Amino acid sequence: MSQSPSRMLDRWMSAGMLAPALLLVGVLVLIPSVLAVVGSFYEFGITSQNWVFVGLSNYARAMADPVFWTALKNNIFLIIGSIITQVGLGTLFAALLDRGVRRGNTFYRTIIFMPVIISSIAVAFVWILIFDPNVGPLNAVIKGIGLTPPRLGWLGDPNISLYMLLVIAAWQNVGFQMVLVLAGLQAIPKELYEAAALDGAKGWRAFVHITLPGIRNVLMVGTLICIIGGLKVFDLVFVTTGGGPANATQVIGSYTYLQAFTLGNMGYADALSVILLVVALGFGWLQLTLSRRG
Amino acid sequence: MLMMPRMRALVAAATLATLAGGSALAQDAVTIKMWTLDNTGYPEFIAQAAEEFKKTHPNVTIEHQTFPGDPYKTGLQVALVGSDGPDVFFNWSGDDAKRLAKDGLALDLTSYADAPGAFGTTVGEGYLDAFRYDGKLYGVPADAVSKYVFYNTAYFAEHKLEVPKTLAELGTLCKAIRTIDPNTVPMPLGNKTRWKAIHWMTMLNERELGVDGTAADYDLSRPADELYTDAGYAKAFQDLLDLQDAGCFEEAPNATDYTVADTMFSSQASPMEFCGSWCISGFETAGFTDVGFFRLPVVDGGRGDAGANFLVPEGFQVSAKTAHPQEAVDWLSFLVSDDQAAKFVEYTKFMPSNPAKIDTVEGVSPLFKELAADVGTFTQGVNVLDVLLDAAVSEAYLNATVEVLNRTMTPDQAVEAIRKVALEAQAKAAS
Repeated sequence: MSQSPSRMLDRWMSAGMLAPALLLVGVLVLIPSVLAVVGSFYEFGITSQNWVFVGLSNYARAMADPVFWTALKNNIFLIIGSIITQVGLGTLFAALLDRGVRRGNTFYRTIIFMPVIISSIAVAFVWILIFDPNVGPLNAVIKGIGLTPPRLGWLGDPNISLYMLLVIAAWQNVGFQMVLVLAGLQAIPKELYEAAALDGAKGWRAFVHITLPGIRNVLMVGTLICIIGGLKVFDLVFVTTGGGPANATQVIGSYTYLQAFTLGNMGYADALSVILLVVALGFGWLQLTLSRRG
Repeated sequence: MLMMPRMRALVAAATLATLAGGSALAQDAVTIKMWTLDNTGYPEFIAQAAEEFKKTHPNVTIEHQTFPGDPYKTGLQVALVGSDGPDVFFNWSGDDAKRLAKDGLALDLTSYADAPGAFGTTVGEGYLDAFRYDGKLYGVPADAVSKYVFYNTAYFAEHKLEVPKTLAELGTLCKAIRTIDPNTVPMPLGNKTRWKAIHWMTMLNERELGVDGTAADYDLSRPADELYTDAGYAKAFQDLLDLQDAGCFEEAPNATDYTVADTMFSSQASPMEFCGSWCISGFETAGFTDVGFFRLPVVDGGRGDAGANFLVPEGFQVSAKTAHPQEAVDWLSFLVSDDQAAKFVEYTKFMPSNPAKIDTVEGVSPLFKELAADVGTFTQGVNVLDVLLDAAVSEAYLNATVEVLNRTMTPDQAVEAIRKVALEAQAKAAS
């Protein structure tokens, strides 16, 4: 029952073609991940050669660290906020462009999608300027219409700075969600709407009973993208607020960076990364379970 | 045919000579990789110095790379641990430089310092001490930065304003400027990246407690039950709040970038700014010449010394991994030699660690010369908190200052938060 030479060749070819990708993933993802797990049981600094085994104490430290909980809460806030603003607005824009807007459809689609292709760092810098309390246009507009801008600044007030990050993230990513949903909408057969209309189902009822089920999988993908984005967010926070004011916008990514590179607690930073991985796996499992249940 | 053996011999000899010469060249060619901040004038200064250095060290090539300040510290640490780090690099004296020395990443330069023409013979002991840890030298001091309150002399003259002698008078001055025009920010702070206000706290702590009064808290050597318990620390925070209440700063200092604050002063929208000696080149670039300066005034009843002022020595360290320690030290010694120190002033407008020829420098503004002369009269240098303190305590101080300015923490709560972290750092250092 030996395999035919051509089948053997196929298998070797497949293995050979997969090898570079597997090697890259191994070197760049798997090995660092394993090292992070190992490092989380030690105390060491980035420039220190002296690793001291501390068991689970880095994890215990995280559980007792109020900034860790603030950061985790902020991650979850950004996930939920992103789903509402990005998936929600993306769906709204897609629906408007699919059915509501008759002229200039491509123009609007391009305008809304444009921020997606701009680097996150550039986006952050543009918004820093917009939010600047001294020279930014937003304060000028707010004052111009007779309102009072926040006394501590849009990014300096711990009570609103996280919401401002959500605004920036939504501005940048809503176009991507819109394109996803639009593709889903355009895949729904028009006949379904015609048949529903004959049965008296129009507008909201047609949206709930035809459109939503039709784009369910697309919305799941959009939600998953928001969850992943909300968990691994770093650049936006790092550039705009640096996690401040006084840790108010800290997320796990920026707090890990702070611990590793500013405070020199590499072991603790590793533990934070591992916790983030576990949280991400938890969200992944939840997502999978919910989608299987339909 | 008779020529063939001779030809072969010639070819063989030529080949051998080429190979021998080539290998000698390859052996001698040295590249020194250097990392610095991207300060104004630095690339030009290093480029001309590298050309000059080549005259005496023809085999040495300097490969200079510059980086912005904020990510520099992180990038440097990662590079030094890795295999492709710089041979020589800029660093601030203080906790960072000390940590690299302690972790074996910075080369001990003690044995190189006093060779003929080496940096130990051109730079004063006071500067050298800034990079001395456990009795060993771990850096070549190149310059020092200070901070002053810069002010618009034309504006002051027009409105008949006087330079304040105390901190309370500074507050009164801010109120007077607000009276002239409520929309004028007297001295923008720009604390978005947090280091601007920590510079204020550095000096306010000195003005309230004096250098000697803070030293044992800063190096965590004070007994635990007394650590950061001096009422002067809370008073220093209150001084900052008093200035804020007097309208000195912009409305949202923690949301304003330092570049905006710098521009507000150099564009003459604001008449004062507490800024570093490095700011002079920015004023000159903006064509703003009506600039005077004064030290941050003393506090009534404070234990500080009017002669003490902000002073942070900076310099270069050599990587312990460098394959060319002698060439690296030769290069750094060359940078702080009399002639190059003068060039350093000319290009960067920084105060050099070797001032031997500072008077000969052309193209330097009277403001710079006046400021450099003032630095020479300091009775004590005050090192900045975010460089001097243990990293965790420094982080706590940075955050506490933000919270105090935002009024989400009182001065007492801020000091208590700092004390808590300082106690943890002290216990960790003792274990």
